[in-house]
Amino acid sequence: MSMVSTAPSRRRRVKIDPWRWVGRIFLLFLLTFTVLPMLWMVLTSIKSQFAAMQYPPQWWPAEPTLQNYAKLLDPNGSTGQEFLRYFWNSFYVSMVTTILGVIVAVPAAYAFSRFTFPGRTFLFFSVLLRNMFPSVVFLMPLFLLMRWMGLVNTHGSLILTYLTFGLPLSIWLLKGFFDNIPIQLEQAARIDGATRFQAFFFIVMPLSTPGIIATSIFSFIGAWNEYVYAYTFLSKQDSMTLPVGIQRFFTEFATDWPGLMAATFLMSVPVVVLFLVLQKYFVRALTEGAVKH
Amino acid sequence: MAQVVLKEIVKQYGSLYAVNNVSLTVEDGEFVALVGPSGCGKTTTLNLVAGLLPMTGGDVLIGDRNVTDLDPKDRDIAMVFQNYALYPNKTVYKNLAFPLQMRKLSKAEIDTKVMDAAKVLDIVHLLQRKPRELSGGQQQRVALGRALVRDPQVFLMDEPLSNLDAKLRVQMRTELKRFHQDLKATVIYVTHDQLEAVTMADKMAVMSGGFLQQYDSPKNVFEHPVNMFVASFVGSPAMSLIPLEAINTGGKIALSSSEGWQLPLSEANSKKAQTASTSKIVLGARHSTLQLHKSKESNSVPGRVYTVEPTGDVTFVQVFLGGATVIVSLDPSVDVKSDQEVWIEFDQERLHLFDGETEMALTDP
Repeated sequence: MSMVSTAPSRRRRVKIDPWRWVGRIFLLFLLTFTVLPMLWMVLTSIKSQFAAMQYPPQWWPAEPTLQNYAKLLDPNGSTGQEFLRYFWNSFYVSMVTTILGVIVAVPAAYAFSRFTFPGRTFLFFSVLLRNMFPSVVFLMPLFLLMRWMGLVNTHGSLILTYLTFGLPLSIWLLKGFFDNIPIQLEQAARIDGATRFQAFFFIVMPLSTPGIIATSIFSFIGAWNEYVYAYTFLSKQDSMTLPVGIQRFFTEFATDWPGLMAATFLMSVPVVVLFLVLQKYFVRALTEGAVKH
Repeated sequence: MAQVVLKEIVKQYGSLYAVNNVSLTVEDGEFVALVGPSGCGKTTTLNLVAGLLPMTGGDVLIGDRNVTDLDPKDRDIAMVFQNYALYPNKTVYKNLAFPLQMRKLSKAEIDTKVMDAAKVLDIVHLLQRKPRELSGGQQQRVALGRALVRDPQVFLMDEPLSNLDAKLRVQMRTELKRFHQDLKATVIYVTHDQLEAVTMADKMAVMSGGFLQQYDSPKNVFEHPVNMFVASFVGSPAMSLIPLEAINTGGKIALSSSEGWQLPLSEANSKKAQTASTSKIVLGARHSTLQLHKSKESNSVPGRVYTVEPTGDVTFVQVFLGGATVIVSLDPSVDVKSDQEVWIEFDQERLHLFDGETEMALTDP
């Protein structure tokens, strides 16, 4: 009997928490703020040039068309060739940056996490030195350096630059990850017959996959979105990356807004896909170590 | 299985000696416990034997091989860690198989050995699970299994029971002891719990401050501690130590307290006391050797009850005496209360005398 009588009274005690609603409204506002521009981008990309420029604006395209996308992705047309070229350049630069970044950051972070060596603390913090300045500060010095090394107008210049920008965060993130893997696991592996490298490769690496994936996403997105350096270092049209290339849709007299929006949309696809596929690792990486297992 | 010899091993971190000149021999098939408080160097010693840390000096011999410069993987040892160190992303089966895979055994051989070990430890039904799906006791068994599959020369165990709850710990303690007896394995076992050491080990090595204090059978360590540290560390509750002053009373020695009472020593104990480097002598006595009287008796000294701790089987009474507290065990039926005046009688045969300066046990000259 007592069980029956307590249940409803407990339900009545749940109050409407005003703060909860304030939070929800704020989140709704944020969502609108971030989604609306993207929505407008997609809507504009399926309008015709004429419809896009109408005033008052056409909220919903009257005659939706995929013409803009077809033009961009057509390998035979001149616009298509150009766009695909930029897309490939961006992909190539970002991919190489990411792979090299992981190759360098994983052993570096592991060393910082596991070994004691002279100058360890100094080195670890000097890794952060670059991040203490806005990246534009390095634009001219790096440009001069690249010119001196003959790397201007090569993708190598960008890859090197992006690496130096992306590595600090990667190393710090991965070090946190390695710190959380008990050293006894490696010791056990070494006693079980593994060399130091095998212990790292067979035991530590699989456990730090989420961290490695998260750092990869970071450096990929960083390289994919970067504009200023790409704009400065590359002047030849066929080596340009997407953020710079898309700019060519602005012309002096008539900007092709629908085409620009379609290109922008296509540019955001890889990042979104990457996030959707790997988001569970990403979240794990960022919350790793927040609670004791 | 093999003998393990540590020869003057030293581990130095900067100016700190974590392990200072430790030499000891673990005979083939012996169960040796390294015991001491935290930071005494026992785990470091174990890691040096395992080869997980580089040594500053000394040699480690396993069997007839000098393994000082060998990698852990080449030392033919197995280790059980305090946190078990099970590979979290592998199933129990793969955890057990890993050391065999690393030694490039064939699939069939691996399967036989894993199944054998799993049967011994009664974990066959857990083989397909991941470590996080297991209870503490089961994880402990798997960790033991991973050490067992390889049939190593020596088992090293680093506080393997300290993460278990009290009841399971006692149960696993008996199982480990049985496991050692059945396998005739050479085991080096690190623990901070002197009770584990006393109950399981053939020999115990008591360490403090990086030094090996005493290395002997638990019985000898218990009955003849070499110094005040060992005396107070081994045994529960700890041995009571009372700092006193030696005075000569016509050939015999008596110990005098600041409270004014004197305890005349027997002839044998007087001889021991005379070997001291100073007149300051520390009297040590275990709770079970002390007698508590409610009224003054000859050869007893006065004290005052501080607390009474009944445990059911036995009641421990703490008594203020000569500026120190001594612990006396009593039958629960005896009725004493806090602040009661009592008289304590020492057993001359079973009391311990220590040099007040060097803290070393005083022995027959």
